[in-house]
Amino acid sequence: MAQRGRHERYLNRFGWFCVAPSMVLFCLFMLYPIVSSLYYVTRKWKGMTDTFIGLGNFVRMANDKIFQAAVGHNFLFMFIQVPVMIFLALLLAVFLNQSIRRFRGPLRLAIFLPSITSLVVVSVLFRVLLQTNGFLNNVMLDAHLITTPIGWLNDAFWTKVTIMLAMTWRWTGYNMVFFLVGLQSLDRQIFEAAEVDGASKARQFFTITVPLLVPIILFSAVTSTSGTMQLFDEPNILTWQGGPSNATMTAALYIFRQAFVVNSDFGYATSMSYVVVLISGVFAFIQLRLLGGERVKK
Amino acid sequence: MKKGLLIGLMLFLAFGVFAQQKISVWCWDPNFNVYAMKQAAAVYNKTKPNVTVEIVDMAQDIEAKITAGLQAGGAGLPDIALFQDFRIEQFFQDYPNAFVDLKAAGVDYSKLAQYKVGPMTKGTKIYGIPFDTGSTGLWLRTDYLKAAGLNPDSYLGKNLKWSDLIKFGVTVKAKTNKPLLSYQSDNFDMLRIVVQSTGGQFFKADGSLNLRSDAFKKSITLFKDLNDKGLLYSVVGWSDWINAINSDQSAGFLNAIWMVGSVKSRPENAGKYMIIPTPLIEGVSGAANASNNGGSSWYVFASSPNKALAVDFLKSVWATTTEDTLAFYNTILKGAGAMGTYIPSLKGSNYTAKDEFFYKSQAVYQDFAKWMEKVPVLKYTPNYVPMRDAVAHAVLNYFQGTLKTVDETIAAAEAEYKQVMGQ
Repeated sequence: MAQRGRHERYLNRFGWFCVAPSMVLFCLFMLYPIVSSLYYVTRKWKGMTDTFIGLGNFVRMANDKIFQAAVGHNFLFMFIQVPVMIFLALLLAVFLNQSIRRFRGPLRLAIFLPSITSLVVVSVLFRVLLQTNGFLNNVMLDAHLITTPIGWLNDAFWTKVTIMLAMTWRWTGYNMVFFLVGLQSLDRQIFEAAEVDGASKARQFFTITVPLLVPIILFSAVTSTSGTMQLFDEPNILTWQGGPSNATMTAALYIFRQAFVVNSDFGYATSMSYVVVLISGVFAFIQLRLLGGERVKK
Repeated sequence: MKKGLLIGLMLFLAFGVFAQQKISVWCWDPNFNVYAMKQAAAVYNKTKPNVTVEIVDMAQDIEAKITAGLQAGGAGLPDIALFQDFRIEQFFQDYPNAFVDLKAAGVDYSKLAQYKVGPMTKGTKIYGIPFDTGSTGLWLRTDYLKAAGLNPDSYLGKNLKWSDLIKFGVTVKAKTNKPLLSYQSDNFDMLRIVVQSTGGQFFKADGSLNLRSDAFKKSITLFKDLNDKGLLYSVVGWSDWINAINSDQSAGFLNAIWMVGSVKSRPENAGKYMIIPTPLIEGVSGAANASNNGGSSWYVFASSPNKALAVDFLKSVWATTTEDTLAFYNTILKGAGAMGTYIPSLKGSNYTAKDEFFYKSQAVYQDFAKWMEKVPVLKYTPNYVPMRDAVAHAVLNYFQGTLKTVDETIAAAEAEYKQVMGQ
């Protein structure tokens, strides 16, 4: 017994030794910044000056209509884009799962490729396509679908559509891969049984596939939601600094601009980050409750 | 044998480190700033061949990277960086000891354009080396003028008023279907150029807001009129704007001399453009047919380990009169349209030369230099950028009808500015 205890202690120590480097890095680059940022929430830290202002940053936030509008844009993107994208990803996954084996590889690659492409490249490409005198407008004008060019990049309404299209284009393939893995782990016999019972493909999809994939849908929904709350690249590059007139300003972009572009106001930026984290947390919790149901309670 | 090699290697390394010195520079735009800095490095290497000037093209977010470096006490920063004149005061305010006082280092500022020295002066200290001018003009496509039945020669070199220009623009639009001016709606340079032509700015000399001035109200009204008559072509972002210009979307634009490079980058533009003085806005006291937009200057970081060398480089190439430095300024003018603000250099042969790229080989540099003399000392203040954005946002909303009057527009701009600044 004593022998075994010692060996266990040795294994324990060895385990800790193995994870020590990553723990040190975690503490240094995650834990320390998070804890120290709590301190800066209460301070006006602008450039090199740093003074205590209590809850001043939150009072400012409560009156900051630009920040509130930015969070509103995040919500808008989240409530429209995330469900559409997840549904699309599911459909694509089912389609790919059933499609002819020969094309599955190339198709999967084509759909996944956007999510691993550099966003700067993507944005340049999208800007060329979507300019007032760009490819898409020209094609649509030639086909007489529209009479005046659409302001994909400079109209307050259409820029929001552009952002959602770009996000969907970029992340659908990423989510699809998870669904594909999920689908491949499902038991084929269930579908065969349903087939025998005369269930249509659509019926099978909604009453068998979707319920069985709930854990994966949940994972996708939570990561996509928190990703949308942190949306930064698209409004910064594609619609040019949240333009036009802040119509696509998002919380993360506003935080970045307060800290690094217009203001050097790190205290305020930190405080806003806390609010965004809180919001993401609340949404994750709600999603877990709604979709996770019993699984979470256990 | 082995020992000999080792000693040799050590000597070589020691000598190498001692002999090879490096200055790093951050700037943007390979055809303009990077090009000019490369030419400057070549001049410096004539006398100091052992110094390498490493120039990094920071296309995106250069200020954000510098801010991060300054927060980290100078870690990761270069020795020298280029700053827009309207940005630098923000850095002086937020990072008071970040830059080297170049006046104390012996730079003779009496030989540099005073309107550029203004923004880089803080108390008795002067921090930068002025680089290029932002002297503005109205760029017009003579081929569209002719197509509209107008004779370009009757406008070449003429001081126009905005009211003349509106009539003129309506004719061009009616005949060629080209809007008169393309512009970037996200920063609205054009509006500021017009306000600046009256000597005014966003802020008064004491730092208080100045949007309710006559100059602003008249300028906003002017552009609303141009917009409603269909004489403006709006784009978002720099690259789209250059694209609009070089794909013939408008009959012209209002901007500074540094557009020469972008216009020349398309060979088909040859012979088509003429540049006339910035039009005059009527009914505002102090209005002139000249203005300024942009322009940048070089700064040395106090955290740099090579301060002395970096200062020596800037001083001896950019602010000293020798045959080589004058030739350098003359070269970058021709090569990139980069008009320096070192006064002794303004006599170079390229300053008066005709440029066959422009309509009737207009001597454009001579003209821009002439207009530059009328530019008043510029006042930006540390909060220029948030104000610029707020004004551009509000005016765009006025154009699109969500704001109804000039007064509402000004109130909206002030409100956004105050929110961003937390006031």
